[in-house]
Amino acid sequence: MRIHQYERVWLLASMVLIVGFIATITYGAVGLGITMVDDRGATIAPDEINEDERFGDPRVEQVGDDEYEVYAVAMTFAFQPDPIEIPADSEVTFYVTSRDVIHSFYVVGTNTNTMVIPGEISVVTVEFDEPGEYGLICTEYCGAAHHEMEGQLAVLEDEEFDLTELEVEAPDEVEPDGEIEITATVTNGQLEAIEETVTVELGDETLEESVTVEGDESESVTLTVDAADLGEGDHDWTASAGDLTESGTVSVVEGSEDDTEGGDDA
Amino acid sequence: MPNGATFADAYPTQARHIRAAFWASFLSLGVGAFFGLIQALHRTDILRVIESQTYYTVLTAHGVFLVISFTIFFLVGVFQWAVTDSLERPPVDMRFTWGWYGLMSLGASLTAFAILAGFTDSIDVRANVLFTFYAPLQAHPLFYVGLVVFVVGTWLAGADWFRSWLAWKGDNPGERIPLPTFMVLTTMIMWYISSIGVAVAILAFILPWSLELTGSLNPTLTRTLFWYFGHPVVYFWLLPAYLLWYILLPKLAGGRLFSDPLARVVFILFVLLSTPVGIHHQYLDPGISEGFKFIAMTNTMFLLLPSLLTAFTIIASMEHGARQRGGEGYFNWLTALPWRDPAFTGMALAGMVFAFGGFTGIVNAGMNINYLVHNTLWVPGHIHTQVGTAAALTFMAGAYWLVPQLTGNRLVGRGLALVQVVLWFVGIVFMTNSMYRGGLVGIPRRTAEPQYEGFEYEVAAGSVGELNAQLAIGGTILFVSAMLFLALMVLTAFNGGTEPIDDGSIPPALSGPEDSPAVLDNLKLWVAIAAVLVVIAYSFPLASIVSRGGLFGPDIGPIPVAIDAASTVARTALEAVSAVVR
Repeated sequence: MRIHQYERVWLLASMVLIVGFIATITYGAVGLGITMVDDRGATIAPDEINEDERFGDPRVEQVGDDEYEVYAVAMTFAFQPDPIEIPADSEVTFYVTSRDVIHSFYVVGTNTNTMVIPGEISVVTVEFDEPGEYGLICTEYCGAAHHEMEGQLAVLEDEEFDLTELEVEAPDEVEPDGEIEITATVTNGQLEAIEETVTVELGDETLEESVTVEGDESESVTLTVDAADLGEGDHDWTASAGDLTESGTVSVVEGSEDDTEGGDDA
Repeated sequence: MPNGATFADAYPTQARHIRAAFWASFLSLGVGAFFGLIQALHRTDILRVIESQTYYTVLTAHGVFLVISFTIFFLVGVFQWAVTDSLERPPVDMRFTWGWYGLMSLGASLTAFAILAGFTDSIDVRANVLFTFYAPLQAHPLFYVGLVVFVVGTWLAGADWFRSWLAWKGDNPGERIPLPTFMVLTTMIMWYISSIGVAVAILAFILPWSLELTGSLNPTLTRTLFWYFGHPVVYFWLLPAYLLWYILLPKLAGGRLFSDPLARVVFILFVLLSTPVGIHHQYLDPGISEGFKFIAMTNTMFLLLPSLLTAFTIIASMEHGARQRGGEGYFNWLTALPWRDPAFTGMALAGMVFAFGGFTGIVNAGMNINYLVHNTLWVPGHIHTQVGTAAALTFMAGAYWLVPQLTGNRLVGRGLALVQVVLWFVGIVFMTNSMYRGGLVGIPRRTAEPQYEGFEYEVAAGSVGELNAQLAIGGTILFVSAMLFLALMVLTAFNGGTEPIDDGSIPPALSGPEDSPAVLDNLKLWVAIAAVLVVIAYSFPLASIVSRGGLFGPDIGPIPVAIDAASTVARTALEAVSAVVR
C-alpha cells in the first residue's frame, strides 16, 4: 500500500500519542492505585433492602482505626442517611444501592462519583482531607423531581466527629403515687472507648454521672423520682451527653380506671 | 452522470426520495432546536415557560428528534445520494426504497407521538425517559415500538444499498468499490453489528416488560445492551459527516482527496473498533469488573486513530486545493481557500470544533479522570461539539451544496448561508465553553434546575451567573442559526427556474484505490474480525451481568414515568417520615 511520507510520520506520531494515553491511565490505575467502581459489591434486590443488615438501617460505621463504612440508599428523590457525617483524613468506603430506578451518588466538585443501579451495590473508597460541607446529588435522571434529589455530606474535623448516640426512655404519664424512671442510654458507634458525662434533669432533681462506654457498646444511666415529690402537672426533663441533648415532658395525672387497668399493662 | 447535469436531472425519482428524507431530517431539526432553546433558558433560570417536571419531556424530545431523527434521516439521504452517484445507477427497485423510507417515517412518528403526548394530560401516554431510556424507568410501549420500526427501516435501507452494490458488481466484475459506496457499506456494517444491541434490549426485555408480559428486568443488562449500541451510534451520526469531508470538502476547497486508500482504512477501523468500546460509558457502573472497563478503555484510545488519520487527510486535501487556487507559503495557503462558500466554511469550522471536541472526548475516555466529569455538564458539552457541530454543522453546510443538486435550484441567500454557519460556530463556542467549564465545577447534566439548596458551586474563574449567561446566549444563537438554515432551505426548494452554481461532479483522489491492496474491499473479512472483537469485548461482561442479576433481573418492578401523582405522594410520605425521625 502506498502511503505518503508525511502521512507515515503522522500515523506513527498518532500511535505514540495513543499508547502514551493508555500508559498514563494504566499508571493512574496501577501506580497511583486509583481504583474503579467495579463488581466487588454484592447484589441486593430492592425489595430486600429493608431486611438487610446494612441497608435496612442506612448509617455510618467505624470498622477500623481511621476506617469507616457508610451504608447509603438512593431513592426517588432522596438519599439516606441525610446528612452523612464522616471524619476528615480517614478512609471512608461508601456502599450505595437503589430502592427503585437508576440514580447516581455524586459529591459535587470531587471525584466521588458512582452510578447507583437497583440490584447492585456500588462501592467507593475515598479519603477527604478537607473538612467542610459538600453537596451530594443524583446526576442520573430518575423521574419528574430528579432535580430535587439532594443530600449533604459533612466532613468533620477528627475531634468533632463521633458516632455517639443518646437515647432516652421516659414515660409520658405517671400516676401521682407512682415513680418516674428516666433512662438515658449512650451508644458508642466507634471502636475506641469514650468518656461521657451524662446528665439527667427532672424538676429539681439532677443526676450527673461519668460513664465509660466501650467501643460498639452502650451504657445507661437512670434517674428515679417519686411523682408525689413533683406534684400533679407537666414536668420538663432533659438528658444530655456531651453535646447531645434530648428533652421531653412527663405529666403526673390522676388516671382514669381505663388507664390503670386497661390496655397499657396488658 | 453526464457532465453538467445535476443529480436531479440524472435521477429525478431518486432525487425526490432523497429530498423527502432531507425534509424529515430538517423538520426534526427545527422541532429539536426549539426544545433546545427552551432548555437553555430553563436550566439557567433565565426564562421558564414550562414546569420543571415538563423539562424532561422537552429533554427527551430534544434528544430523540435531533440524534435519532435529524441525523439518521439526513444520513439515509446522503448515503442514497452517495451510492446512486458513485455506482451511477438507481436502486434495483424503487418501491423497496420508498418502503424503508415509509417504515422509518412511521417509526419516527410513533415515537414522536409517545413523547409529545407527555405535554398533555388528556392523552394517557408518556415517554419522558430521555434518549437513553434506562429501565426501570418505563415509557409507553409505543415509544419502544416506534424505535424498533425506525431501526428496522434503517436495516432495510442498508440492504437496499448492498443490493445496489451487488447489482453493480455483477456488471463491473473485479473493479474496486467506488469510495463513497465503500463508505456507505462499511458504515452500514458497523450499524448492523451495533444496533443488534438495542434491538435485543428492546425486543427481548424492555418491550415485553412494558407490555406487562414479563414482570421485571435486569437494569444493568439493558443498560449495557444500550451502550453496546450507544457508542457506535455516535459514529453513525458522524460517518455521514466524514463522508462529506472526504468526498465533498476537497472538491469545495478546489482540489482532490489526498488519499483514497487511507480513507478506506479509516472506515474499516470504525467497523472494527466502534462497538467493542461501549463499556466506557459505564466506567462508573457497579457490577462490571475493572478489567472489562480497561479493555473498553484501550479500544477507545485506538479509536482515536481513524479520527487522527482523517484530520491529516482532510487538512492535506484542503492544502492541495488551496495550492491549486494559487495559495503559497507554509500557512498563507489558508487565505486562498474559498471562505466565502458557506458549504466549505461550514465544514471547515465543523472540522475545527470536532478536533477540539475529540480531545475532550479523551478526557471522557480516560478511565480515572472520567470520575471528575461523568454525568456533569461537561458531557453534553462534548456531545454538542461532536454530534451538535461536527455532524450537524457539516450536514447543514453539505446541504448548501447538496440541496441545489437534488432540486436543480440555485441556493437562495449564499451570503446569509455564510452568516448562518458562522453563527452556529459562535453559538457553539459560547454554549460549550459554558458547559465544559460548568462540568468541571460539578454542575450536573440532564436536570431542570441545577441550582441546589445545600451548597454552591466553586467556580475558580468567573461565576455561575456568567456561565449561565454564556449557555443561554449560545443556545439562543444556535436556535437563530438553525431557523435561518431552515428558511434558506425552504426558499431554495421554491427557487424554481434557476440552476446550481456547481456541476455536481466529484474529482478522483490524488492517490486512488489502485494504491491500496484489494483486501481492503474484502468486506466479509472485516465483518468477521469485527465480530470476533465484539465477542471478546462483550461475551464475558454480559455473562457476568446475567449471572449477577439474572436474565430478567432481581424482581425490579416498573417505574412508569407517568408518576407525577405517585411521586408527590411518595415524597410527602418521605418528608413525614423524616420529620418524625427528627
